[in-house]
Amino acid sequence: MSDAGGVPRKALDSPGVPGALAAPRPMLALPAPDIVHFAGVSKTYEDGYTAIHDVSFTVEDTPNHMEIIGVLGPSGCGKSTVLRLIAGLTPQHPATTGVVEVMGRPVTGPGPDRGFVFQDYTSFDNRTVADNIAFGLECSGVPNEERTALAREWISKVGLNVDRDANKYPHQLSGGMRQRVALARTLILKPRVILMDEPFGALDPRTRFAMQDLLVTLCREVEATCFLVTHSIEEAVHVSDRLYIFSSAPGTILKEMKIPPSARAAHLRQREPEFIETVFEVRDLIETLDVSTKAGD
Amino acid sequence: MTAPARPAPWLALRELPPPLVRRAAGVVTVLLVLVVWALLTRGATAESRAISPTVLPSPFEVLRSFPVLLTERNLVGSIAASMQRVLLGFGLAAIIAVPLGIAAGSYRLVDAASQPISVFMRNVPVAALIPLTLQAFGVGELQKVMFLFLATAPFLFHEVARAVALVDDRYVDTAQTLGARPRQIVSKVLIALAAPSIYGALRANFGMAFGYVMLAEVVDARAGLGFLLLQSQRRGLPEHLLATLLVIGLLAWLIDQTFRFFGRGFFPYLKAGE
Repeated sequence: MSDAGGVPRKALDSPGVPGALAAPRPMLALPAPDIVHFAGVSKTYEDGYTAIHDVSFTVEDTPNHMEIIGVLGPSGCGKSTVLRLIAGLTPQHPATTGVVEVMGRPVTGPGPDRGFVFQDYTSFDNRTVADNIAFGLECSGVPNEERTALAREWISKVGLNVDRDANKYPHQLSGGMRQRVALARTLILKPRVILMDEPFGALDPRTRFAMQDLLVTLCREVEATCFLVTHSIEEAVHVSDRLYIFSSAPGTILKEMKIPPSARAAHLRQREPEFIETVFEVRDLIETLDVSTKAGD
Repeated sequence: MTAPARPAPWLALRELPPPLVRRAAGVVTVLLVLVVWALLTRGATAESRAISPTVLPSPFEVLRSFPVLLTERNLVGSIAASMQRVLLGFGLAAIIAVPLGIAAGSYRLVDAASQPISVFMRNVPVAALIPLTLQAFGVGELQKVMFLFLATAPFLFHEVARAVALVDDRYVDTAQTLGARPRQIVSKVLIALAAPSIYGALRANFGMAFGYVMLAEVVDARAGLGFLLLQSQRRGLPEHLLATLLVIGLLAWLIDQTFRFFGRGFFPYLKAGE
């Protein structure tokens, strides 16, 4: 009777489920911490909804190669949850289970080392373009003259006109210009990780292409690892070095893909047969996934 | 038969007429009211008028009463007395309610703690505060100031707290990822973005306070616009009563326009028309 329902203790102590953790990484002479490391991360809210389930991935630090990581998946698959967990933003942060580490340290809250560009325009309406861009520097106590000079530098780096735009207020800007300000405001702080949640979702195709190319150039310049959540497969394939494809809720990583690099501009590259082939490959994958989840509803 | 003339486009449903036409329309309405008023109060004797002069004096009689109001009834002094009470009572409300409202809008715990009293105070009828303040503060100036304070502070607090709470979370998220600390978020994001709404709440509640001061002065006062109204009624001077009412309306409009003028200076970043 007494041992009828008993489980031998040894069975529990045996090695865990394979694949739950990332494969061991080769030790380097000077081991650099991973940029971002997720191990078995799940997020379940108080109401019982599970946004992501058992997400594990690792973005290693490879010197002189700053990655752009595209995150694709059906709506509501928890892509944004992953980004907000990296950023340490509530209510997604903290994770219900699992380990979320950035630069080898557990994430405890938001900070300027992890920049975030949101889809919604988040320019501070009461600040001019220059003051918006200088916001982070102002918070960290950089003197006025210094931060104004830096802000002006970044205004031109993101393709705005210093003389014409520096003193404009957000309501005088187009959607594309506002996102340029948002990019500059984040990049001026030289974050190690840049998180972007559908940053170009509301822009017209022409502006979108220009912004994609700008993004690639600037992420290389500040030597940041970028995460880009997007609905556009073309956008993800164009800007990314690596793609994570998520399944439907509860989201988990279904596939990781490497994309060969290209130096061509967005509007040119998107005509290449190889590019189109990759896009269709990804599209088919997501569609299969969508059908299988809908059938299970 | 002639072809039907094309109607002006601004006669169409929901079309906005040009500014000049809109202004003219307002002037025409005022003139119309004045004409009807003059017609109803026409006649050399009280018996020949459609409405007795003891009920409604003619517009000319009201106009003629202004010199008397200014010289014998101390109109300017009454305006000053009323304004002083409003400024003191409302000023006190602003000094206390605005910071508390900002705290409640920024910290949910402060909001939760303030709710019972805030809801209760906003639901007590304003007129019911008069006996209370008379009992607590007597019949002097202090009672009037405290009455205005109690009548406006709960509403000001509530509106300021709401304005701050309504600042979208995405601005707070953005500020946090740009390295802002909680105190910086309160000052540089929450207060800064809620400022136009806070100013709007001040503007609206100042108007309310200006309305309530009449109530305080009707009950017991030695001076003020409300006092002037009551005295005119008691002494049987309906033209003084109407003239004072006109002054009150004009003054309220002037105060509001002053707020509007400064608002434009404070918030140059608001879109035109907001």
